[in-house]
Formats: sequence, structure tokens, C-alpha cells
Amino acid sequence: MTMQQFIEGPLWTFAATVFLVGVAWRIVAIMMIGKPKDLTVAKSSSMAGAAKSIALHSVPHGGNLSRTIYHVISGYAFHLGLFALLFLAAPHVTFISERIVTVPWPAMPRWAFIIAAEAAFAGLILLYLRRLTDPIMRQLSDWDDHVGTWLTFLAMLTGCLALQESHIGLRLFHMVTVQVWMIYFPFSRLMHAFTFAMARKHTGATYGRRGFTP
Amino acid sequence: MAENSTTGFSKTLLTGVMVILALLVLFGLQPSALAGELPTRQKVPDITDTSRPYGPGDLSDMWRGIRMGEPSSVTRPGKDGDVLIQSEGGQWQARRGALIIKYGSMVLIAIIAVIALYFMLFGRIRIKGGRSGLVIPRFTLIQRVVHWSVALLIVMLSLSGLILLVGRDSLIPVMGREGFSIVASAAMEGHNLFGPLLIPALIAMFVTFVRGNGYRLIDIKWLFKGGGFLGGHASSYKYNFGEKTWFWWAMVLGLVVCASGVAMLFPEITPGRRFLQFANLAHAAAAIGIIAFAIGHIYLGTIGMEGALEGMTKGTVDKNWAKEHHDLWHDEHVQAATTDTAGAEVAAAAHGDVLPEGAGE
Repeated sequence: MTMQQFIEGPLWTFAATVFLVGVAWRIVAIMMIGKPKDLTVAKSSSMAGAAKSIALHSVPHGGNLSRTIYHVISGYAFHLGLFALLFLAAPHVTFISERIVTVPWPAMPRWAFIIAAEAAFAGLILLYLRRLTDPIMRQLSDWDDHVGTWLTFLAMLTGCLALQESHIGLRLFHMVTVQVWMIYFPFSRLMHAFTFAMARKHTGATYGRRGFTP
Repeated sequence: MAENSTTGFSKTLLTGVMVILALLVLFGLQPSALAGELPTRQKVPDITDTSRPYGPGDLSDMWRGIRMGEPSSVTRPGKDGDVLIQSEGGQWQARRGALIIKYGSMVLIAIIAVIALYFMLFGRIRIKGGRSGLVIPRFTLIQRVVHWSVALLIVMLSLSGLILLVGRDSLIPVMGREGFSIVASAAMEGHNLFGPLLIPALIAMFVTFVRGNGYRLIDIKWLFKGGGFLGGHASSYKYNFGEKTWFWWAMVLGLVVCASGVAMLFPEITPGRRFLQFANLAHAAAAIGIIAFAIGHIYLGTIGMEGALEGMTKGTVDKNWAKEHHDLWHDEHVQAATTDTAGAEVAAAAHGDVLPEGAGE
């Protein structure tokens, strides 16, 4: 078995399995934790509180725009850019439609790819520099934050370096970094991609029932 | 009378020589001459002409016209699309190799050698009075984020750019043609991808750092004292002459790098191939200028000088470091010196070196 066959075959299968099973296991585990029955009289709707929380925490609110505008803009730039790269970049569309689902969807044009990539890289770099230089953020960060950021950066970087699609080696290098990222994903804070809505819903419902909007 | 005549003749001769020299200089400095345009262009001849020197079918004039860049009739006319051979391309290639690569490499190697020699002879520049245990807030969080953004981009673009510029000569012997092909392909994609990010990053750097980087009289004194290397203490405010020069050097050459980079990324907006060749040379020359200065800056900011790096990592500097290297700024901000390093970091992140109201009263 050649290195190419190994990376595209068993390693890809293993990484995808760990990713899917790990993510499912984490989500089910969180949902099974449950919460004790709240015996207090509800002052307001918990569902409305959950909806408000999810919506409000997606935009600057509470009068602290100057403190949040930096990570709101860089956060949206990174996440939207990464989403576009992941699901709309032409090589990814081809790969997913050939290997995962058979229904193809239109890929974005090259100019859109460039914009998405610039936004994603700029956002990630700005977010990480804030984590490194802000004295509070530095105290709040641990090794998981750094490893998760670097793996994401490397996966994005190797993908863009292979953009010319002229060398198999560059594509395999990208695949390996993505596979490492996928294996690490379920066991790290990268899981926030799936759990952020659950966390906001939980907080919003809890406080909404008590008449607060967090 | 004869003497007057001789003098008049001499004056006329001198004037004539001066005019000829001026014309020669003017002619020599014409952009076309600088860019290496060939002196004349000839019409593509009619090869069916029976009066041609070697009879009908003589193609020498036709090839000469093509070699001179004479436009031809093509089915898809466009920018430079009707020029079969662009002879200036050979001159661009020669200049890139003989000037940019040769002298650029020499400059970079010389700078690294001088710095390495200095470090081996004198070692790290220590804080003479040792660390005081007091820190002074210096840079805001935004300034540090902008600084590291530009630093990160310059490092990545420099590495990828140097691979593209000198890799053919220096890397092929090491990794072979196939290996270099892979590295060069990755470097080009990375360079083109990260390059545009340098534009907003440099704009942000200008906005956040321009205050305090204007030259003042004290900078001339600093210069004459060689920043303290030539003896005596060289006073400075927040930024010394070297730091100010680095700032403006990066801004001006950064502008050249960005403008020429945009031209090469979007060739359809440029006048044509000759402009792109000029842009390529300007891009490489300006980039080497930035890299050369950056090497010195990185050295002094890291291993070269004790106490310098933390200004950009924590936002604060040791009081003794400030007194030694930026004494006038130190005197203005000494009342902010504190042993509460964590508090000073938070204060620096929010306000930089701006003193709180009532400080020093």
C-alpha cells in the first residue's frame, strides 16, 4: 500500500469514523446529563428566553459594543469564511460529492474563494493574536485552545497551499492535517461548532424562566 | 578683439557641449530607455514584394519586425496579444537576475553576517541597571495585535517570496527539481493568498503607530551618537530615530510592495506586460528592502536586547529599560511605574502609555 492509498483509504476512514462517532457521543452525553426539575413558578417563557439568548449572543448587545466589536467581526469573518471554504470550495465540492454524498452542489467561483480564504485567515489570526496578547484572554486560555487553533490554521493553510492542484503531495499533506483535525475535534473545544447553540439555549431557558435575558 | 572672439567661440563650444550632454542625459533617463525599450520598431514587410533584397519570400525583415515587438494581425486582439515576441522580457529577466537576485542576496547575507558577528563579539545588550521590578505600560492591545499581524504576514510573505525569487538557484541543488516544484507551487499560492492581507494590516499599522513617529530635533542627536553605539547616551522619546525610520521605511516600501503586488495579482487592470515587468522588479526590490530592515528589527526585538520583546508581548516594559533606551519617554511616564505587573498589563491593554487623569499631580 502506497502512502497515497493509506491516506486516502484507511486513514481517511478512521478519521471520519472518530469524528462522527465522537461528535455523536459528545452530543448524546450532554443531552443525557439532563437537569433537575425547576419547582419555582415561571415568571416568563423558558423557550422565549432560549430563543432570545441564541439570537442576542449572535450580535453585539448590552451596550458594550466597543468591547465586543473586535471579536464579533473577526469571529464572523473566520467562521463564515471557513464555512464557505469547507462546503463551497470547488475541490471540496468535488471531494464530498464523490466520496460522501452523491448529490453535487454548485461551487463558488475563484474570486469568492479568495475572499472567503482572506476573511477566514484574517479572522483566525486576529482572534488568536487577541488570545495571546490580551492579559485576561491569556489567563483564560489553556493548551486545548492553542492546539485547536493551530490544527485549524494548518488545515486551512495546507489547503490553500495545495490550491494549484498540481502536486499530489500537497493534496495529501492537506488531507493528513485535516484528518488530524478531525480526530482531535470531538475531544476538544472545537466541539463548540455543534454545542454553542445547546449552551446558549440552556442558559437562555434557565434565566428566561426567571424573567432575565442573559 | 581676437581674444573676445576666442572667448565667444569657447562659450559657444561649451554651450553646445552642455546642450549635447543635457540631451544625452535626458535621452538616457527617458523611462523607455530605463525600461529597456528597443530603439526602433519596423513595419512588418510585405514578403511578396519582388524588389526585396533576396527576392519574394525573404523573411528576415519580418522576423526583425517581430523581434522588435511590431504588432501583428491576430484573431483575438487584446493587451499585448498581437506581439509575438516581447524582447523587453529578456531584459527584464536579465535585470531580475543580475540586479535584484544578485545584489539583493548579497545585501541580506551581509546584514545577517554583520548581526551574527556583532552578537558573537558583544552578545546581548543587557539592561545596565538590571531589572527594577517596576513596569510601565507602553502599548495598547490593538497596537500589539496590529504589530503581530504585520509581523506574521511579513515573515510568511518573506519566506514564500524568497523561495520564489531565489529558490531556483538555491533550493534546486538541495531538493531537486521535483521537490522545488512542489515547494514553489505552495509558496506561490501562499504568497498570493496572504499578500492582500498586508494592505489592511499596513493601513492599521499606520493608523495605530503614526502618533509619536514624526521626526524631531532630538532624533538628529540620536543619529549623530549612533543610537549610543558611538559613545554617550542617546536620548529619545517613545520611538528613537531607528524605530521611526523603520516605521516610515515599512510604510513607503510597503506601499510599493502592495501596489505592485495588486498589479501582478490583477494583470487585467494594468497597461500591459512591460508595466508588469516593472512592477515585478519594484516588488522584489522593495520587499528586499523591507526584509533587510526587518532582520535587524527582529534581532533587536528578540535576542539582541534584553527587555525589548515584552513591550510587544505584555504591553509593558521594565522601568530601567525605559530609562536606558527611551529616557525622555520614561521621564514623562515614570509616575505610571508600578510593581503590579498584572494590573499594568491590563492598563496597557486598554490605554497604552496614556496616563490616567490626575496622574503625576
